Amino acid sequence: MALLELKGVEKIYQQGKIEVPALRGIDLIVEKGEFTTIFGPSGSGKTTLLNMIGCLDKPTKGEIYFDGQELGDLSKKELALIRRHNIGFIFQSYNLIPVLSAYENVEFAIRLTDGRTESEMRKKVLDILEAVGLAGLEDRRPNELSGGQKQRVAIARALVKEPKLVLADEPTANLDSKTSDEVLEIMVRMNQQLGTTFIFSTHDPQVMEYAGRLIEIRDGKVSREKKGEDIRVHH
Amino acid sequence: MKFLWTLAAKNLFRNRLRSIVSIIAIAISVMVVVFARGLVTGFIDSTFSLYIKYDTGHIKVVNQEYRQKERLFSLNYPVDGFNGEGLTSMIKKLEGVEGIEMAVPRIKFGAMASTDDDLITMLGWGVDPAKESKFTGIEKQLVEGRMIRPGEKEILLGKGLLKKLNRQVGDKVTILYNTSFNSFKGATLRIAGVIESGMPLLNDTIFYLPLDIAQELLIMPDQATEVLLVTPNAKEAAAFYPGVKELFTAEGAEERYSVEPWNKANSVLEYMQVAIRIYDVIYVFLVLLASIVVINTMVMIVKERTREIGMMTALGLQSRDILKLFIMEGTVMGITGSLLGAVLGGIVTRVLSVNGFDYSAIVSGMGDEFLMNPIIYPTFSVTHMIYGFLLGVIVTAVTCIIPARRAARLEPSEALREF
Repeated sequence: MALLELKGVEKIYQQGKIEVPALRGIDLIVEKGEFTTIFGPSGSGKTTLLNMIGCLDKPTKGEIYFDGQELGDLSKKELALIRRHNIGFIFQSYNLIPVLSAYENVEFAIRLTDGRTESEMRKKVLDILEAVGLAGLEDRRPNELSGGQKQRVAIARALVKEPKLVLADEPTANLDSKTSDEVLEIMVRMNQQLGTTFIFSTHDPQVMEYAGRLIEIRDGKVSREKKGEDIRVHH
Repeated sequence: MKFLWTLAAKNLFRNRLRSIVSIIAIAISVMVVVFARGLVTGFIDSTFSLYIKYDTGHIKVVNQEYRQKERLFSLNYPVDGFNGEGLTSMIKKLEGVEGIEMAVPRIKFGAMASTDDDLITMLGWGVDPAKESKFTGIEKQLVEGRMIRPGEKEILLGKGLLKKLNRQVGDKVTILYNTSFNSFKGATLRIAGVIESGMPLLNDTIFYLPLDIAQELLIMPDQATEVLLVTPNAKEAAAFYPGVKELFTAEGAEERYSVEPWNKANSVLEYMQVAIRIYDVIYVFLVLLASIVVINTMVMIVKERTREIGMMTALGLQSRDILKLFIMEGTVMGITGSLLGAVLGGIVTRVLSVNGFDYSAIVSGMGDEFLMNPIIYPTFSVTHMIYGFLLGVIVTAVTCIIPARRAARLEPSEALREF
């Protein structure tokens, strides 16, 4: 069964009396374990699409199914619970809490979930920080970390609760190419090791190299789609 | 929940100066509340104590007619016992009522004395010297001479009055007065002693003379104008009041005499009890004023952390969690500031409760209508500190709901777009 299914999703923003369409009928199926990149120019609707998929916003029209469940009828609280347990987010500007250490930032996400003992949570946090290459830096605060290290903390935070889906909005936009490669390699490794589905938006060709599936968005519509070797051939 | 508290506490260190300013604002307001409460309590307790000593006792017995015309010091409506059997017998019966430690009789009357070029108006208080000393401690205020004695034609007066009369201890003074039969008479009495209290009424206006001498001069045999009943303490007076009323009913004297507990016997005391409640409202407004600084800080914080709120919502925090987080952050400021303010307020009150506030300049200009100690000692009380602390915390937490609601209402997708 597909992890995600979008049927005719439209999103119209109201700016005063003017209606601004951001998505104009998106149909999309994402299978479990995919490593998908959504690319397109600025203003094409990438972030809006991620917000819909991530239960942060509701479509004006159309249906979204997450793991077989239709999201349209869910309350804010129910959507929050889906995000809490099933979706991890990685942001362009990391969005770490500056007063918390790397360990505490990651711990923050797992503490919201239920059913784990203190020692289990601690082990999970330390394991994931080691997996993203931050062993020994657990006590550092964001201002004591480099951009790449910060994004690794954000990846660890997104993955620590073992979500079904990780959404990354321009995760390498603030990083140099070497650090971008390192971060992307971590994400690919996590995708392969944990089987977590990744969807991220970008307009960086370097990022597209890592994608297992490329979806191009233009003017709020899926304009092109490529899979596997096709991606490498064209870039 | 615990990690939200930890985060709220750590967030205070993001912008230290701003947090410190907010905490100081709360601390100052709570400190003022603790100190003001101590001062007001000290002032009111001391004033109540003065009124109890010099006006109402714990329970005051006067003739109903006298009660209506008390300011005229009429001698025509005396307390002369139950069924005309005399004051002495009445006092004995009153002192037999459970909880009544002592019945203190007084005759208050207007009097005059002339000096070389002036006529001095005074108030004469005929008192039982032993009971008066025991009840009011007047003997302790003696600065010269001795306490008056029963059967002796002598007076005790304040330093100011002595000066006005231009006399010295041991000198004689002729006083003029109206008897209970309204005949104008004069009597020469020896000055036995001088007291100094700082209160205009005692210092400049009153002279004490033995009750038996006052009864003789005013032609009021075995009578007084008032009897003050003394219970173990003012707070317990109400408990013994019904017993006293029962005695008056049993003696068929409930219509002849007015019997009232101290807090009803003088309108000033009733007003002051209302004032205590008004002050409590003022304290809330004072802290509310300080919490505006906290609201302002919180509004800025919400604005600055919009993206972070979006991130936390994305991680799965619900609106109510965001609301809690910001209320917690304000509450942590409230707790810190209130604790600081309560401790500082306690220290200031403690120091001044020993040294006191000198109000003598104000008191001396107030006249003898209002009884007030020239030095007010604020009451140090842990209860006031706890009150100030809780008031600070509760008001801050409640006012923080305003900015916290703003944070909780943010749409996550819009919050994440914020730069």
